[in-house]
Amino acid sequence: MKKARITCGVDIGARSIDIILFDGRKIIDSIVINTGAKPRERALSAYQNLLVKNGIRKNKLLKTVSTGYGRNHFTDADEAISEIACHAAGVAYYFPDAELVIDIGGQDSKVIGMLPGGKVVDFGMNDRCAAGTGRFIEMVSDILDIKIEDISKMSFRKVSGCEINSMCAVFAESEIVGLLQNDVPVEKLLKGVFVSVAKRVVSLMGKSFSSREIIFTGGVAMINGVAEALEQETESRITVPSNPQITGALGAAILAGKR
Amino acid sequence: MKTQDPFKYFRDAIDYELEFVEKEKSRGRKIVGIYCEYTPREIILAAGAIPVCLCGTSNSTVAAAEKILPSNLCPLIKSSFGYFITDSCPFITMSDLIVAETTCDGKKKMYEIMGQRKHVEVLELTQKSDSALSLKHWVDELRKFRKTLEREFKVKITDSDLRRAIKLMNRERALLRKAFDLGMRNPSIVTGLELALIRFRVAGFEKHLEMLEKFISDVEKRGKSRKKPGGPRILLTGCPTGSGSGKVIEIIEECGGVVVVQEACSGIKSVYELTEEKGDPIEAIARRHFHLPCSCLTPNRGRIELIAKLAEDFRPDAVIDLIWQACHTYNVESHIVGEFVKNRLKLPFLKVETDYSPSDREQLKVRISALLEIAGK
Repeated sequence: MKKARITCGVDIGARSIDIILFDGRKIIDSIVINTGAKPRERALSAYQNLLVKNGIRKNKLLKTVSTGYGRNHFTDADEAISEIACHAAGVAYYFPDAELVIDIGGQDSKVIGMLPGGKVVDFGMNDRCAAGTGRFIEMVSDILDIKIEDISKMSFRKVSGCEINSMCAVFAESEIVGLLQNDVPVEKLLKGVFVSVAKRVVSLMGKSFSSREIIFTGGVAMINGVAEALEQETESRITVPSNPQITGALGAAILAGKR
Repeated sequence: MKTQDPFKYFRDAIDYELEFVEKEKSRGRKIVGIYCEYTPREIILAAGAIPVCLCGTSNSTVAAAEKILPSNLCPLIKSSFGYFITDSCPFITMSDLIVAETTCDGKKKMYEIMGQRKHVEVLELTQKSDSALSLKHWVDELRKFRKTLEREFKVKITDSDLRRAIKLMNRERALLRKAFDLGMRNPSIVTGLELALIRFRVAGFEKHLEMLEKFISDVEKRGKSRKKPGGPRILLTGCPTGSGSGKVIEIIEECGGVVVVQEACSGIKSVYELTEEKGDPIEAIARRHFHLPCSCLTPNRGRIELIAKLAEDFRPDAVIDLIWQACHTYNVESHIVGEFVKNRLKLPFLKVETDYSPSDREQLKVRISALLEIAGK
């Protein structure tokens, strides 16, 4: 392994920090931790630990690229690149022909249209509203007192969801509380929430995005019910990479090797 | 006058304007507060009064406005109203009269509330830009306005007064146009933030025009030494910006882009055409204003034509459409603009919907950086 080709991608997101070491062809190692209240310090120590663990000295790294909300504050990076470009590059690594990516993270959701190979052509992002993001699903799981891990693998295909009409996460919360008072079963409620998230994201797509296959990434892609709801709302095949949370960091590491 | 540096001068322009307006008022000149580029400044100048654009571009007065106005109004309306009810804009206090137009529903109703405390003269701006009947109505409104000013200020406004005022405004607009045209240079020699400085509030203020000439010659001097290409060139369209609401221009330039031209009424749109100096002066003033392609007009083909022309002259790499939250006309029209930019100009396009508060700066940076990355390839 020639260490001179090794690059590092650091994705400092709203809810998690993902770091990847990449040797130009494959992932050497990766780490995912919660962002917490001190993202810069946490990212830095995780970055250093990952290097030490793999016996790589910082000056042997070809380049480090940061992305995500904290990208401009991670001083050890050689360059900061937007998460849009990074997600596209990360997805293209697994799916070189992909044309459309839906990424739902902790604080935002995005739709990225790209050319084969990962060049971004157009994108849409949610405005400053949490509905349609991972945070919204976390809020709901808190109200229902259910762990996200416990529902992630469940299938909701046969459940008919209840309508959630609120366009705002905060009002949706009170709507859900109201539905619970009326004894709406939890699975109907969850299905309703997943469909409402999917609808929000589909509205970002507008007319300019369409593809027979959509690659679904971000932490929320680990929730099977959301992928099902997206399939229903987009009428496209939804494919989730094996580790959907790290595509941003992976893309950052890949772009680091290209620039 | 204290400074000869035009950049410093325009950064502090409000201080010079206050001094000037206070002095002129104490000499007996009337002050007319205005809010919009459609206001016929020429008629106000012809009446011997000073047209002053009133404050409405700061987030600091929004909270005060929300005590009375609904919060889901555009920040421009809320900020203007906040200044008005908290008496924090000295120009409002000094105004003998405020002139306003029926550009949008929110403003129209806000003016009614303002009218309970101060003389607000509302001109009914018609909306069909290609209709002779609409133009005739607007001409009638302006003739009535001329009479109102004559009555209120006890003056006689002659046609030659109007022609002199047209010439003065044309000189001002031509200078502003010349300054905005500096953005055509590639590599660019002036930033969008610098060009945003020269949108002063007081019309017909000689010192401004002198410093504007200096601004232009100082920027032109840079052109001789600057050879390095800058970041992606951005055409900014949509809602107007101002001192305190330049957030999106700041972010674009922090992320490495350059706003080479702002199409909005706070940019080149309002000075793109001059008022005709021949013929009936009131009709000439009315016609010019009808050629100002604001989204309150329907249909607003003029905006698409202007964007096409600006794209040809300024060679942008991408177009950003700024929408102030709850500005329905610009928000809806954004679809038409976006389709035109993407399909006809073949340029990357980004619609940014926001308000005056800094709360979404980081989110905006993500999408603006991503657009610049696409445009920079």
